[in-house]
Order: sequence, then C-alpha cells, then structure tokens
Amino acid sequence: MKTSSLAFSENSEISIVSKKRKRKRRFNSGRVSGIAGCTIVTCLILAAIFAKQLSPYDPSSQSGKPFSPPSAEHLLGTNDIGQDILSELVYGARISLTIGIVASIVAMVIGTTVGLLAGYYPRVLGRVLMRFVDIILIIPFLPLLILLAAYLGRSLVYTVLIIGALIWAGTARVIRSQVLTIVKQDYVLAARTIGASDLHIIVLHILPQVLLLAVGQFVQATSGAILLEAALSFLGLGDPLQKSWGTVLYWAQVRGVFLTPAWKWWVLPPGMLISLAALGFALMGFALEQVINPRLKNNSK
Amino acid sequence: MKHYLKTILGLLIGSVLVFAFSSNTIADSHKRVDRLRAAIIGDESTINPFTYVTGEPGWNILMMQYDSLYTLGIDGQPQPWLVTKLVRSADRLTYTLTLRDDVYYNDGKKLTAHDVKFTFDYLTKYPVGRFAKDIRGFSSANVLNDYKIEIHLKKPRAGYVRKAFADVPIFPRHIWSEVTDPKKHQFESVTNVGSGPYIMVDYKPDQYYRLKANHKYFAGTPRVEELILVKFADESSSHAAFRTNSVDILFKNIPPEQISMLKGIKGVSIVQGPLFTTQLVIMNYDHKPFHMVEVRKAIAYAIDRQKLVDTIYLGAATVGSNGWIHPKSPYFNNQVKTRYNLAKAKSLLDSVGIKDTDGDGIREYEGKPMAFELITPNNNALRLRLAELIKGKLLDVGIKITVGSVEQNTWEGAVWPDFDVNKGRNYAMSMWGWSAGVQADTFRAPELVHSNTGVGFLNLTGVSNKEIDRISNLMDTEDVLARRVELVKQLQAAIAEEMPFITLMYPDGPYAYWSSKYDGLAYISGQGIVNKLSFIPKSAWP
Amino acid sequence: MRSSRGNRILEYLVVFVIAVSLNFFLPRLMPGNPLALLAGVDVGLMTPEEKAKVKEEAGLDRPLWEQYIDYWNDLLHGDFGYSYKQKAPITKMIGDRLPWTLLITGSSLIISAIFGVIFGAISAWNRAKPVDIGLLWTMILMGSMPTFWLGMMLISIVSVDLQLLPSFGAMTPAFFGTFWESVADVASHTILPVITLSVWSIPGVYLTMRYTMLSVLGADFIRTARSKGLSEKTVLFRHVVRNSLAPVVTVLAIRLGFAFGGTVVVETVFSYPGLGRLIFESVSGRDYPVLQATFLVITVAVLVSNILADMLYPLLDPRAKAN
Repeated sequence: MKTSSLAFSENSEISIVSKKRKRKRRFNSGRVSGIAGCTIVTCLILAAIFAKQLSPYDPSSQSGKPFSPPSAEHLLGTNDIGQDILSELVYGARISLTIGIVASIVAMVIGTTVGLLAGYYPRVLGRVLMRFVDIILIIPFLPLLILLAAYLGRSLVYTVLIIGALIWAGTARVIRSQVLTIVKQDYVLAARTIGASDLHIIVLHILPQVLLLAVGQFVQATSGAILLEAALSFLGLGDPLQKSWGTVLYWAQVRGVFLTPAWKWWVLPPGMLISLAALGFALMGFALEQVINPRLKNNSK
Repeated sequence: MKHYLKTILGLLIGSVLVFAFSSNTIADSHKRVDRLRAAIIGDESTINPFTYVTGEPGWNILMMQYDSLYTLGIDGQPQPWLVTKLVRSADRLTYTLTLRDDVYYNDGKKLTAHDVKFTFDYLTKYPVGRFAKDIRGFSSANVLNDYKIEIHLKKPRAGYVRKAFADVPIFPRHIWSEVTDPKKHQFESVTNVGSGPYIMVDYKPDQYYRLKANHKYFAGTPRVEELILVKFADESSSHAAFRTNSVDILFKNIPPEQISMLKGIKGVSIVQGPLFTTQLVIMNYDHKPFHMVEVRKAIAYAIDRQKLVDTIYLGAATVGSNGWIHPKSPYFNNQVKTRYNLAKAKSLLDSVGIKDTDGDGIREYEGKPMAFELITPNNNALRLRLAELIKGKLLDVGIKITVGSVEQNTWEGAVWPDFDVNKGRNYAMSMWGWSAGVQADTFRAPELVHSNTGVGFLNLTGVSNKEIDRISNLMDTEDVLARRVELVKQLQAAIAEEMPFITLMYPDGPYAYWSSKYDGLAYISGQGIVNKLSFIPKSAWP
Repeated sequence: MRSSRGNRILEYLVVFVIAVSLNFFLPRLMPGNPLALLAGVDVGLMTPEEKAKVKEEAGLDRPLWEQYIDYWNDLLHGDFGYSYKQKAPITKMIGDRLPWTLLITGSSLIISAIFGVIFGAISAWNRAKPVDIGLLWTMILMGSMPTFWLGMMLISIVSVDLQLLPSFGAMTPAFFGTFWESVADVASHTILPVITLSVWSIPGVYLTMRYTMLSVLGADFIRTARSKGLSEKTVLFRHVVRNSLAPVVTVLAIRLGFAFGGTVVVETVFSYPGLGRLIFESVSGRDYPVLQATFLVITVAVLVSNILADMLYPLLDPRAKAN
C-alpha cells in the first residue's frame, strides 16, 4: 500500500551520475513530454469547443443509411442508425474530456482534503481515514455503481461523481505522505508554537506546499478518468445515448461490427482518440512530476 | 516452445481441413447426423423442470428431454402428444385423458397415468413460475387405470389444453417422489429421467451439455445422434464461433444486422418466421396526462413505426398493430388500422388544449411542459436505439422526451415492482416487451388490459376500460371457438380504441444454421426452431 | 514494536469486518430484487401468494438484521449457499471460474513483472539516453490505450482477419481431444487476453522500477560503491537492482490481490469465463449469495496481499532493515 507514497516518503539527495554522462548533452524528457502533452490536449480541447464548426453533420441526425462504409459524404461511414461517425467522434471529445476533467477535479478536491486531514492528524483521524481509503479500494465497485446510479439519478453528473469517487483514494495517500513530512518542518512547528490555529496552518502553510503535487495528481488522474469513462461506457454502465468515444465503441460492440471489416472505420478511430487524450494528460503529468519531485530533475548543472 | 507452436499449427491446419471437408459435403436432409453443435447464451443449470433458467431456450431444451400431454404443431396450435383421447365434461370441470401405452422413461420405466397425477400434485406443492401458472385451477387428479386419468378443476378455465397440457412436462414419480427441495436438489451426475427424444449424458457448467438420442423414443429415433449445446457468454462470441463453423446452429435468433452478413457465407441458411415477441411503449395512466386517450393516441400517431422497422431492424420485423395481435395470427382482426400521421397527432393534442403557449416548441399541459422520461433497460441495445428515435419523433409534435437508460433490474422494479401490478407503477413512459408466450396464445390478451388485476395481472399501464373488461369477461366463459375468435377480434378493436400501450413492432425470428450439415428444422409459428420437432422424423410431427 | 504490529492487525481486522459487511449490504441496497431468478423467468405469472412462498423459501421475507446474522453464521461455517440462478453450490461455481481468471491474470502478472523490471532497469541505467526516452514514451503510450479497445483490435486483426488465434472463451467449445491437445487448445485461447492484460500492466511495474532505481542510483552507498572502484556490472546487479526491488514487489503483491477479482472488461471482450464476468452477470439478476461469496474472495485476496506487501517490504529493503 506504500507504492504511491514511496516517491515522496524520503528526502533523499539529488541524484548524481558519473562524469561521463554529465558531459553529454541531455535530452530534456520532462520538457519535451510537457510540450507534446500540452499540444495534444490543446488540440483536443479546441476540437471539443469548435465541434459544431468542425463536424460535417449533427451527430444525432440520421444523415445516411445505417451501416454505410466510408464515402465522400461520410468519411468514416455511418453507425447502426445512420448517424455520421466522424461527427460523433468530434462531438465525443466534449463528453469524454468533460467527464475526464470534472471527475478528476472531484477526485482532487476529495483526495486533497482527506490527505490533508489524515496527514495533519495522523494519530486517530488519520488512521481512521486511511483505513477508510483501504475499504474504498477493496469494495467491489460494480454494485456500488448501480447503487449510486439508482439513487443519484440517470445523468452525466452521476458518471462524473462515480468516477471521481473511485479514483480519489490514490490522491489522498500521496498528499497524506507529503503532509506527514511537511508538518515536521521548522516553519510549521514555529507556526504551532506561536499558537496559530490548525485551520490557519493547514490552509496557509501546508496547502500551498501540496498544491502543485495535487495538480500533478489531477493531471494524471484525468488520464485515468478518461480511460475509466470509456470502460464504463463500453460495459454499458454509462449512458449509451450520450456521444462519447466510449459509447461509440459500445455500439460497435453490441452491434457486432468488430467481427466485420467495419472495425477499420468504426473501432480504430475512437480508440485512437481515447489513447491520444489519455496520452496527452499522462505526458503532461509526467512533465509536472519532474518539476515537482526534485529527485527526478535533470541535475546536470 | 517450438513443439507447442507446432501443436497449435497442427490443430489449425486440422481444423481448416475439417472445415473444408464439411462444407464440400452435399447436404442430405434425410441423412442422420452424428453430432450437431448448437450455441446457447448463458448457462441453463441442470435443465430439469425446477432448475432450468430461461424461458427460451431453457424451457425448449427442457422439453427435448420430457414430453407434455399435448405439444405445439408447426402452426403453433396444440396437438395431442402423450394423449390419444380427451373428453371434457359438460360443466368444463373434468377432463378425462386416455394416454398412449407405449411411452417409456429413459431408465426403462413406463410413463403412466400415475406420473401425470404426480406431476400435477407435485407442482401444486412446489410451485415454480411457469408451471404454477399453467396448472392454476387444478383441484385434483384421479387415476382410473394406468393409461386413463381424470383431471378436476376448481372452476372452468378456457384454453386449459394449451396452458396446462401443452406446457407442463410429465416427470417420473419414481424419481421425484423422494425429492423434498426440488430447487436445490442436485442429482448425482446428470440423471434427468424423462421420456423425451434426448437424454442428457454430460454437463460441464459454463461449457456445454451433451444430449444423446433416445433410441427408444416413442415417436421415432431422433435424426441427430448427439446434440451438443455449447454455452457462450454473449451473442457476439457465438456469432464468431458460428462463422468459423465451430458450432452448426444458433439457438438464439440473430440480430437484424447479422442476417445479410451470415447469408453471404456458403453453406449457411437463415430460416425466418414470425416470432410473437413484441416491442412496446407503455404509458402510466397515473402519470398525467397519460390518462387522456387523446394523448396516448397522439403519441401513437407521431411514431413512424415503418421507419423504425427499416432503420433499427433493417426490415426484419413486422409493424405493430394497435390491436396488439400479430397480423400472422389466425385470429388477427384486419379491420384494426395502424397509421403514422403527424398532423393527426398534433390536432389530437390541440383538441384537448395541450398547446405550446410559451413558444419554446414544447407543449404545455396545465401550465407544465410536456416533458417525460422514457426509461429503457441499458442492456438492450435495440430498445435503446428505438427510444432514441422515438425521442426525435415526439419532439416534432412538441413533446420532450429524455431517454433514461436504466440498469435492468432497477428498470423492472420501476415498471413492475415485485412483478405484482397491485404494487403500483413508478414511471411515466417506458420501453417494454413481452416474451413470445404472452401472445402465442391469442386468448391471453385480457391479461394485459383487464382492470381487475386478478385477471389483468400483466396490466402494467393501469388501463381501466369498461368495454375491454366486458369483452374479456365474455371470453373467459365463452366455449365455442368461433365465438371466442369473434370476441378476441372485438377486443383488438377495443384495445386500438383505448391505446393503453403502443405496439411498435413484432421482431422476426431469424435463425442461422449450417444447412450443409443439417436441414429440416421445424419452425413453429411464433415459437422458432428450438423444439423437439426439429430433431425427430418428419413423419412423426403432429 | 510489538504493540504497533498488534494495532496494525487489529486495524486490518476492522477493515475486514466492515468490508465483509458491505459485501452483504451493498447487493441488498441495490434497487430491484432476485425474485425473477428465484421463481424463474415467468415470475410475472405467479400469484402474490406463490411469490411470497418463493421469498419465504429463500429466507428473504425475514428482517434484514436476521439475514445478516445468518450471513456471518454461514460464513464462519464455510457455507456459501446456493446460487439463485444456477441452483448450484457456490463453492463449486467459484471453483469453476477462479482457475480461469487466475490463469490469465497470473500469466500477465508474471509477464509484467519480468518485462517491467528489465525495461525499468534498462531505462534507469541508461537514463536520458535514447533507449530510456524510447522505452518511457512507449510505456506511457501502452498505459494510455483502453484495454477493451486493444482486445477488440486484437480480435479483429489476429482472430478475424488473419484467423491465427481463437477470439473468445477459455477453450474450444465442446473440445474432445487428448490431454496435450487440450493443453494446446487452452494455451491458444489465453494468448490474446494475456497480451491485452500485459500491455495494460507492464507500464505500472516499469515506472515503479525506473523511479526507484533512479533514486537508488543517487543514494550515498552507490556512490561509495563506485568510488571503491567496483565494476559497473557489480554495482548494477549487486547494489542498484537489489535495492530497487522492494517497491516493485509491493506493487506486484497488491496486483496479485486484485488478480483474484478478474478483470471484467477483458473477460467481457474475450467472453472469458472468469470471476469478473460471473460478478457482472450476477449483479443484474441480484444473485445475492454469488455476489457475497465472490466479493469475499476478492476482499480476502486484496487484504492478504496488502498484509503480505506490508510484511515483505522491510524484508526486501536492506535500508529499512538496517534501520
């Protein structure tokens, strides 16, 4: 259970490598991934914003015959009820990215709050909270999903909440272990001795220290949330009538197209888009991690 | 590693050879076949009368191992099977049945009137869904001699021959009399002792069933020596297996998009016929304004059912009749008209003052917008698509629909809590469908629409219509077939006039099989091909 | 030291009791009920009295707390009950499914351990060289692919277009061959699911390995070892790799726990008869006994693997031992 907290549990020194390597001109992997990630994400977000201008058809209109192969009118063919697949994908960016981003914001807020509290009050509250995190990671999420769906209603909001509820636990652990080291530092101890309130210390002294870390977690979680949304949609647990990349694949599966040549225009593109989005956020997250964690910084000074 | 790759390669080549060989063999429909592999979806447990899981094909497979007093003929009507003679008393309370005297269970014991009595008594003591309903009204049985029995009813019940005699498997007294917890009882190995054309000899849970022909079957030796029922987790994997001829026949009817694709494969045939399943839109009468017939009719007029059939079923369905009964039924009332008419839909809504007063394109009823949730189970792809297209259509007449994709069991609980219509309804509009059994017996129509929930125990919408009740009551006591047919035609007209639900369509039942391997399946009208007639000599068909 | 270990065990016990209780309550809190399974599909045709009788037989008419006590009682006696759907003993059902799940998840775990550690070590040792960058980006890309999509693509290309490997199930349906033919048959069915799972799981191990090894490379004792003039090879294997294994083993131990739960998504794509699929199927029918028992298997596996990871960590990490 220590895995995610490991990277931050010790304050070991900056790595030093042999002289031979030092002299070599370094490829700054952090910066390149950061740029690549940002470019991908920006392009996708632009596509989502300008979906109306970019897509050839209204994705909900039946603009062609069902199961048409690609043609000049429909570059990626049509789906099982004659909707344009290309337009579905362009509009799909909206739902997929929104769910991914909002769900990770939810996870970041819950995870950071729990992590702060558990790290600041490590004895009783912290233990209780961390055991709660353990339970969250153990309980089978399928019935939980149906339960939540039944009580929260049937909309995008619940998909977002469910994904958020499923992924916050990891963030909580990382934040907690960071807080555990911060509270031992001088300025926190000093603030305590002059009688600052707990709330004051948490908000003014500790939160700023973990904020960057939380943002890093958020970016990485977004990548996971996008994949999770796709998986839920694929299993039919999302709303199959919302146009996300995952639901496009769901329809390909339930109407048996991946056993036919249609997989080339119906299954391949949405999967590539999901991978691309997840990759974009993962690269950004990787780059951020290099900045946040000093041990991983390039230290060829 | 190398050796192992070789094995795989060898297997592959071998299977290709087998494949090539089997597709070159010229089909001979009269030839006996050694082994036929059929695909089923999901496990059916041990397939005895108390453990089979699904109505279709579970019950159908059950009936390959057992026999009933009557059985359905090709036309879907019950025909004598174990029975040679039936006499009904004038008060309609007593049936006297004479049985065949040449029927044996597969353990060698004779099937006698004692087994019939035992079956009815046992099912009364230990009710299971389908059979409990089948025999309802049964009071007692009286064995006159080994092959003659009297069945007494508490009160007359129309259509008892079809409901009870053609549906209940007669199981052996000498096996079951010692079983006190039939639902949990696990027989050692797989000794399902029945009288049917097949004997189950091997069952690997989640993998397959092996059925062997019963050479002593009274109606003749089955044409397929060994029937292997292969279990698949889902439809698409069964289709993949079928394409590569890893199975010879699909026991589940194929979805519309597969018809043209599978037809293109050499050696594969598709048999298609009417299936009495339905796709419906139901509306809750307690949810205003669905209590107004004009609103329900307007919605019916606004939905272009032919377009739905063409788009979603790619033509492989029959447009639904407003009178509920399938046009292929012998008792269909062809005076009942079903039309698509947007103007009529709009004028109907206008006529009851449901108009768009604030100019947002959505009509208002008593100041509130006509906006409803249409719920549909999230595991039924075609129904989801139907709901999606209906949403668009209803927007054209100023009704706003949100499609709620709901987990199956939750959805059932909202529409039909505890499967008891007395427990209320928690929906506005819902997609729904009945299995073939509900419509296969045309005279069951009152169950859907009678306001007395004792009779109308499938009345999910809350319809209460005097005319419908009157006709239904007459049907219940009317005994002359011609007059019952007249009544059921009247009932269709009354249902169309009331529009308690919208019958969108009756999907066809297309079944795919490798005709190069085996031909001569029996398509029972409204029921499909999974039945014992498909596997016994044609000369023995009733 | 001893008392803190005692606390830890107590905490795990509490987590266990809560999790096992949730396994009981979660399925029952779901709307809907298992009546359709208990009475058969034609439950709608039964009278209220008949339905009540069916509920009574299954003990569902009694207050929830009584059922809860019974649940613990049965559990402590090792009695998992009968499936509502298949009317079969649940121990047998799980026994049928679990080996399949473990076959594919276990194989992919081994594969991801081997490749993850090797690639991670290569990457960290060649830090910031093209090899590292290439591996790193490949791994991030692999981790970004939706597993079910990868599975679908493999089926489309390898099974349907090239017809090389079977696309579904754990073995050829109704395959009656010799023992070795059966083994080959099963093996050919595991290849695609295992590839799919491995592509998903290698990057996690790789990143952990690379990450830890980078920090080990910067530690004092490595510098000391180098300054002693030990060969690079000796430094790499005797010091760096050995000292980097603890977190990787932890990751693998935890993955092992989750391996018991199967992977619903991959099992769905390949129609694989594993435990994940069983859970998925049982949820919609509200097959309470099956859900409870399968959840229990997962709960125990995850908890045990966590405890295992906790215990292994200090043993494997020489620095922790030194402390």
